[in-house]
Amino acid sequence: MAASGNAIDPIHQFEIQRIIPLKIFGVDASFTNSSLFMVIILAAISILMLYGTSARSVVPGRLQSAAEMAYEFVASTVRSTAGEHGMKFFPFVFTLFMFVLFSNVIGLIPYTFTVTSQIAVTFTLAALVILTVILYGFYKNGMHFLNLFVPSGVSPILLPFLVLIEVISFVSRPISLSIRLFANMLAGHITLKVFAGFVVMLIGAGAWAPLATLPVAAIVLLTAFELLVAVLQAYVFAILTCVYLNDAIHPGH
Amino acid sequence: MDAEKDAARGADDEALKARLEKLSGALESQRQQAEAQKAQDEKSAGPTGETGKALSLGFRVLSEFVAGVLAGGFIGWLLDKWFSTSPLFLLVFGALGTAAGFMNVYRIASRPTFIGSEKSGADKP
Repeated sequence: MAASGNAIDPIHQFEIQRIIPLKIFGVDASFTNSSLFMVIILAAISILMLYGTSARSVVPGRLQSAAEMAYEFVASTVRSTAGEHGMKFFPFVFTLFMFVLFSNVIGLIPYTFTVTSQIAVTFTLAALVILTVILYGFYKNGMHFLNLFVPSGVSPILLPFLVLIEVISFVSRPISLSIRLFANMLAGHITLKVFAGFVVMLIGAGAWAPLATLPVAAIVLLTAFELLVAVLQAYVFAILTCVYLNDAIHPGH
Repeated sequence: MDAEKDAARGADDEALKARLEKLSGALESQRQQAEAQKAQDEKSAGPTGETGKALSLGFRVLSEFVAGVLAGGFIGWLLDKWFSTSPLFLLVFGALGTAAGFMNVYRIASRPTFIGSEKSGADKP
């Protein structure tokens, strides 16, 4: 994330580079830097969870207590948001939460690639959530699931409009879910890069060079702030997934 | 002699009881303190800190509104493409999408607080 070399280009860090070019049936399925970091994220999560739960001591060690905290945090979120029935989806929510959390946090390390700053990735995750909601909603409730779009206690004249609005509101869910995560990551990383660019420019500005400490201080603060945003966005993604799943489990309100 | 002994024992008992009470009182107050501390920790710890909460709420309102407009526009654009009625459906669904965006925001705002009350409806059958 630090200004690399002489070219200060805040967008450069989001570029996808092919590491192993690959074409399957005319589809570009190259192994890119994005894929590489997804593998790194999965490896990090696997190490934390597998190694953390292997000891099973009564007094947990560092890794074990990190793994237990992650489990308890997500479990209590799912229970309080989607009810006891929601625990059916705990593996799904936990996977999403850990993936988003790790990609956000790993992305904060300089010279890494932030997977969640790509809207293709976040929209895929959001689409996965919404498809699960739709499929499970129809499986569990049948046509009764469509009651989700019919608000109660509305005059028959207004009803068609309100149903249309409700449908659009439902369609907007994956969009808002993906845009929020992607925009937060993108904006944060661009801000950091721009401030880093100020440092380079000020150092090159002769007598103004001592002022370069100001953007450095700003970067320190912003990095702490970005860490907060990274964790918070993973949490928001998980809790909204639970809220939407709750609609599928208990429709009709 | 017996009476003297009894009296001494009684005094001992009294002292012991007082001490016990004091100790259990101290224990109780300590436990209460620990619980209060824990509750406070839970309140301030984690991603639900005050600033973070307000921040994510603000961003959520923004993204929900924008997403409503975008979704409406997208549906309208798609219908226009299918029936080649441009720009009729885009306009209609753009307006409906804006309404949906307002509705999304209203839904967030009508909840008393942000995260704690997301469970509304969780216990409904």
